[in-house]
Amino acid sequence: MKKLLIKNMIAFAAILSLGSCEKKLDLYPYDSIELSQSFQTVKDAATWNNGLYSDLRGRVYGSYNISQDVQVDQLNATLDFGNRNGNPHRWGTSFLADDGALSGSWAGYYGALRNINTCIAGFEKVKTNSAAEIATLARYKGDAYLARAYYYSELILRFAKPYEPATAATDLGVPLVLEFDINARPARSTVKKVYDQIIADIATAKTNLAATAGAAGATKFTIDVAVALEARVRLHMQDWAGAMTAANTIITGAKYPLLNTLTNLNNMWTNDLATEVIYNCAVVKTTEQANTNSIYLGFNGATGKYVPDFIPTVDFVSLFDAADYRKSVYLKQLPCIIQGVNFPTMWCVNKFPGNPALFTSTYTNYQHAPKVFRSAEQYLIYAEAAAKVGGASEALALTALNTLRTARGLTALSGVTGSSLMAEIIKERTRELAFEGFRLFDLKRWHLGFTRGTAQDLGAINVGSNYNTISIAADANQFVWGIPTYDININTNLVQNTGW
Amino acid sequence: MRKLVVMILCVTLAFTQSFAQNRTVTGKVTDEKGAAIAGASVVAKSSKAGTTTSADGTFKLTVANSVKVLTISSLNFVQKDVTIAANNTANASLTASAADALDEVIVVGYGAAKKKSDVTGSVVTVNAEKLQNKPTANMFDALQGKVPGLQVYNSSGEPSATPSIRLNGVGSLGASSTPLYVMDGIPIDPGTIVSLNPEDFESVTVLKDASSTSIYGSRAANGVIFITSKKGKVNSSKITVQTQYGVSNLVKPTLDLFNSFMNTKQLTDYWVATGYRTQAQVASLLATYNADTKWYQQYYKENIPTKQIDINISGGGGKTTYYVSGSAFKQEGLTYRSDYERYTLRSNVTTTVNNWFKLGLNLSGGYDERQTNPYGSNSTNRGLSLLRQPFYSAYDANGVKYPDIIPGGNFYNPNYLADKLPSKGTNVQFNPSGYIQINPFTGFTLKSQVGMEFYDYRGSSKTLPSYLGSLNNGAASESFSRGTTKTITNTAEYTFKFKQRNSFTLLAGQEFISNNSNSFSGGSTGQTDDRLVLVSAGPTGYTAGSSMSEYAYSSYFGRLNYNLDSKYFVDLSVRNDQSSRFGRALRGATFYSAGLMWKAKNEKFLQNVKWVDNLVIKGSIGTSGNSSIGNYQSLATVGTNLYNSTPGWGVSSAGNPELSWEKQRQINIGTQATLFNKLNIDVEYFDRVTSSMLISVPFPYTSGFSSITSNVGSLKNSGFNANVNFDFIKKKSSFLNVYVNVGYVEQKITELFQGKNYWIIPNTGVCWAVGQPVSYFYPIWAGVNPANGDATWYTPNADPNKIVETTKSATSNAFNSTGLQQNTGIKRYAPFNGGFGFSAGFREFSVSADFSFSKGKYMINNDRYFFENPNQFTGYNQSVTVLNYWKQAGDQARFPRYGVQFTQFDTRLIEDASFMRLKALTFAYDFSKTLLNKQKVLSAAKFYVTFRNIWTLTNYSGPDPEVDTNVSLGANPNTSQVSVGLNLQF
Repeated sequence: MKKLLIKNMIAFAAILSLGSCEKKLDLYPYDSIELSQSFQTVKDAATWNNGLYSDLRGRVYGSYNISQDVQVDQLNATLDFGNRNGNPHRWGTSFLADDGALSGSWAGYYGALRNINTCIAGFEKVKTNSAAEIATLARYKGDAYLARAYYYSELILRFAKPYEPATAATDLGVPLVLEFDINARPARSTVKKVYDQIIADIATAKTNLAATAGAAGATKFTIDVAVALEARVRLHMQDWAGAMTAANTIITGAKYPLLNTLTNLNNMWTNDLATEVIYNCAVVKTTEQANTNSIYLGFNGATGKYVPDFIPTVDFVSLFDAADYRKSVYLKQLPCIIQGVNFPTMWCVNKFPGNPALFTSTYTNYQHAPKVFRSAEQYLIYAEAAAKVGGASEALALTALNTLRTARGLTALSGVTGSSLMAEIIKERTRELAFEGFRLFDLKRWHLGFTRGTAQDLGAINVGSNYNTISIAADANQFVWGIPTYDININTNLVQNTGW
Repeated sequence: MRKLVVMILCVTLAFTQSFAQNRTVTGKVTDEKGAAIAGASVVAKSSKAGTTTSADGTFKLTVANSVKVLTISSLNFVQKDVTIAANNTANASLTASAADALDEVIVVGYGAAKKKSDVTGSVVTVNAEKLQNKPTANMFDALQGKVPGLQVYNSSGEPSATPSIRLNGVGSLGASSTPLYVMDGIPIDPGTIVSLNPEDFESVTVLKDASSTSIYGSRAANGVIFITSKKGKVNSSKITVQTQYGVSNLVKPTLDLFNSFMNTKQLTDYWVATGYRTQAQVASLLATYNADTKWYQQYYKENIPTKQIDINISGGGGKTTYYVSGSAFKQEGLTYRSDYERYTLRSNVTTTVNNWFKLGLNLSGGYDERQTNPYGSNSTNRGLSLLRQPFYSAYDANGVKYPDIIPGGNFYNPNYLADKLPSKGTNVQFNPSGYIQINPFTGFTLKSQVGMEFYDYRGSSKTLPSYLGSLNNGAASESFSRGTTKTITNTAEYTFKFKQRNSFTLLAGQEFISNNSNSFSGGSTGQTDDRLVLVSAGPTGYTAGSSMSEYAYSSYFGRLNYNLDSKYFVDLSVRNDQSSRFGRALRGATFYSAGLMWKAKNEKFLQNVKWVDNLVIKGSIGTSGNSSIGNYQSLATVGTNLYNSTPGWGVSSAGNPELSWEKQRQINIGTQATLFNKLNIDVEYFDRVTSSMLISVPFPYTSGFSSITSNVGSLKNSGFNANVNFDFIKKKSSFLNVYVNVGYVEQKITELFQGKNYWIIPNTGVCWAVGQPVSYFYPIWAGVNPANGDATWYTPNADPNKIVETTKSATSNAFNSTGLQQNTGIKRYAPFNGGFGFSAGFREFSVSADFSFSKGKYMINNDRYFFENPNQFTGYNQSVTVLNYWKQAGDQARFPRYGVQFTQFDTRLIEDASFMRLKALTFAYDFSKTLLNKQKVLSAAKFYVTFRNIWTLTNYSGPDPEVDTNVSLGANPNTSQVSVGLNLQF
């Protein structure tokens, strides 16, 4: 009896312990796949390719524009700004190397580069089965190289001195990370080396995108996007001829005619009319949103009033002629309430009011399709490069400048040459590209300092020598952003910029 | 051959003959309550014959006919002589010896329950009466200050919050330091506790050392909290009804802070004095808005009710026991949209089917609804509502509350937000467990237990279409998450004696645990009518989401308990665990422990020392592990995103194929003594060394990841725990007992990563430095320069490699949050935690008080950055302290001159948040027996008044010192309760 019982016991225990097989410990996530399994087919490559665009959308607009725009001269912080973006605005000891504005873009760009470098290596492993697949894969490669060039072009503008042919080979640039290696501790490459890499990547991209023709409002990279980036980069490199050639390719291609009516210009900035847009990111209502430049309005639907964080200076507003379509598109007099005080006709930046087609509630969510490359910039690049070449090219510069001016409702200039030509180009660039994240890098490149302009109403803004009366000398240290403290602390191969 | 046969026959006969002169006595040894006493010694008086009782308390002993009396003794019981009855039986009921009257039977790890005094490990039990009748939902609240070394902090005044719990310090810099929770043998999540009815718990046992925790292996490095639910008792049926009603309010120190803000006159005068506004501007403002509102009174309510009722019925008959209970609990928080409502049911049944088969089934289920105020942190809708300007009013000229927007202030009334943006969670909790137990022969037990922890959590939130912030465009979202953790445990246990003096218990077992957590959610927008706000009513903005995650553990374990003469005890255990969370080659680990104990009182030389009632010395060493990190972290993975409505990929995790267990080695040495039958002292030393810590190791952003979880570094925690309790009075009609518990921990980081000797965790103020405890590294405030009103700070050690060594030799007036940070010498974690209290009674009246305290606790009071920064947060209300700023040369001021930022993130914000809090004060009246005897229905009745958190002593200037964080911002403070209750037993 007892024996039988024990036998039963053992059998019973054996049955119960079946619950524990080793296999049940091999668990895999449901929301991701193993990296090693992700480069098998062209379809895999297509998914990676799409991911790169999603990354890019997350790295334009929002803090990727705002941080540098609040740092310069055109904005005052209102009393209700709550110290949002206050540190770059105040410079000095407010703006330190551990600031989120610095680490945000640094980490953002290198995070995207991680995926790009993974793709560039991974695409080599993808098996292609047809000529069509080979062509498709080539395009993805082109996209990856172009995206890499774009991110490095943004990094070098922020974290290094401007490109000066005499010193670029010794000035410190940013670390060049060209493959995904978690354990790498890269030192900073020189400015020249970084620009050389950008140019090389653009060249690779152009080869691979040769068959991908550009079109207005493209939401994926085209050959024109590669050329537009090249123009921008060569301008910064002071390769005037190269910049002219590239910009001219876009201008003469005539696929992105400048908008020349108030209605259409307004349509571009409210309804994402894409006529002159070489590349903008796709945005899908509710499910895929972009970063927003939401600091300029602060609309309160409940009261119908605006509580902006930053308002334009009087000097900026008066840069615009009454006839300039941009004055009534980029700017607007709105009823504001700041610290309980009403300002019924305060000038506000209205360049990013939000596209009503993308609203997710009754009121604006400031969503737009972020415009990364527009043809207007190419006219300005061409004009500036041509003016720099000087001589006979000055006429070419003036033509390009006047094309833009007349499109925007201004009269054409004539007989302007030399430094006054350059001054007009600078003014035009300041007007046209305002609040799209260019100004800080332009001032750097032009070696100009600034004094923050006259405020609209001292009762509405923060005052003081670190606010409305701040004055910054040309080439001040903080024009070149500090390398984020986080990386300085971990990667001992990095050298910090002066003054941080 | 024949000779031989005859001889054998003779011998046999002779034996038979001698046998006939003896008799076999049978009997059973029980305690006063009739429970069997196993292992009791039964010795024939004036003879050497003896045996011990088996697991069911029975014995069989052959003695000479001449033996008339048996001496029966068992550890912790008074020895008793029993006369053998005529039918050769001898039953004994032993009374517990005085010193061991408190001795309980506890479950330590797996296998059968053991007498607490026979366990070599460091264990502390808190019994039902300490857990009962609390005006709070969470059982852990009652543990605060009760267990030496166990730190319990309530970080929030939310009724549904779960306190943070740590045992003997912070065991890991990266992985969780929360103990493992086990209810009736099944591991459960700490967040589950709030969903369970504390009245259902018989006891909570805290297992502290390796000897008691190593059997739990991989997850026990931070100790084990073992919860035992109530069971019925045979022939002891009772019905208990408990009900309680109370109110919650804000108390000091919260009110001190809330009342320390400027009134309208102070604020507007300040604005004029500092030049922020002119007298004319202020006059024009005050012409429109001239109230003097204390805004906190709008954001926190008063006298908010708490209600609870619990009914349980327990008993048993024959071989079956039962315990069934039901409860309802409802508590509202003081802030809007803060409440917790819970209903529970439990049924615990055990039955002995026959003499070798036993089974038990515990079913615990509950439903709760919870809301938590969402406006913490730096939201001016509660967390920083003190910044609201006092001149605005919440009421119009007729005293009627503004229904939505406060005029001038342009912000919402808090109850408007609560009404228009409802958000609620509901939770269904089910914790079943069952076992079968087979005793094929004496001393041998096979047990198989299965259990599950299961929850369904539904979240539901809406934006009503009438909400002015999004008028006629409502939103609704619904989420569902489900978690199941299944545990199956099989054990075999064998208890036997060798030559009477040697007692052995051998245990072998196997366990498999698997968890699955999954969720999905959906939402829509565009609802236009407040009455129609289902997701289906929204025409646009459809969203959907889902998630799924799993982990599993597979384990084998064994244990040996041995004792010699009940004097010398040895416990050995070993466990092997495999976890799905780690790389395949490294997923297994083996943990062991050894414990020794000497019961000195059982030695001859102490037996006659009357004033020593008990003296025990014990020690243990062992290892355990920690795997409290996320799932799948060893894998390099690719995650998904969307672009233009098409899926995309990106690297989501770098993975770490070398990821493995965090390991801990722990040594405990302790002694426990009971003297003069009054004084109980329990002291222990512990030493924990954690190595291969699971830390999010920082990587440069250029790598593409800011951190990767890796096994690095080591940490040491050592210290003392002590408990002293003293019975001043111990009489039948009166008693007075006083207790003190103290836990002291000294923490030291012994190794970091990447060869670093320190690592300042960005934006936390906290640093890990080798040779130091986790400490605050912050700019050190050097004061206001009386000559020019500058703010000054000490500059750190000029040698960046020696930043840990603070010199305070030079100052600077340029603030730099990273450039000035250095070792403040202030510890992040409080070294001293404990509690004390007393209970006293006289006849039907009793009173008890329980205090808990924490000494050396420091927090960064981030609120003050907002409350004392007038030129940074111009236009907002400020603390009255900002009036004290530098105005002219020679001023010794708290703040610098106006124009210089008053408050920076520096040591001024690191405040001593040590506190002593009266957790519970209870006055009770037990209806007298004489009164009760006049009727037949009630067998006992108690009426009581209880107070929770009514008094706090602290120097901390924020809303609540008890919050467990390095940076406190917008904390929802603990509240106080006053409740009256009635317990009835039928």
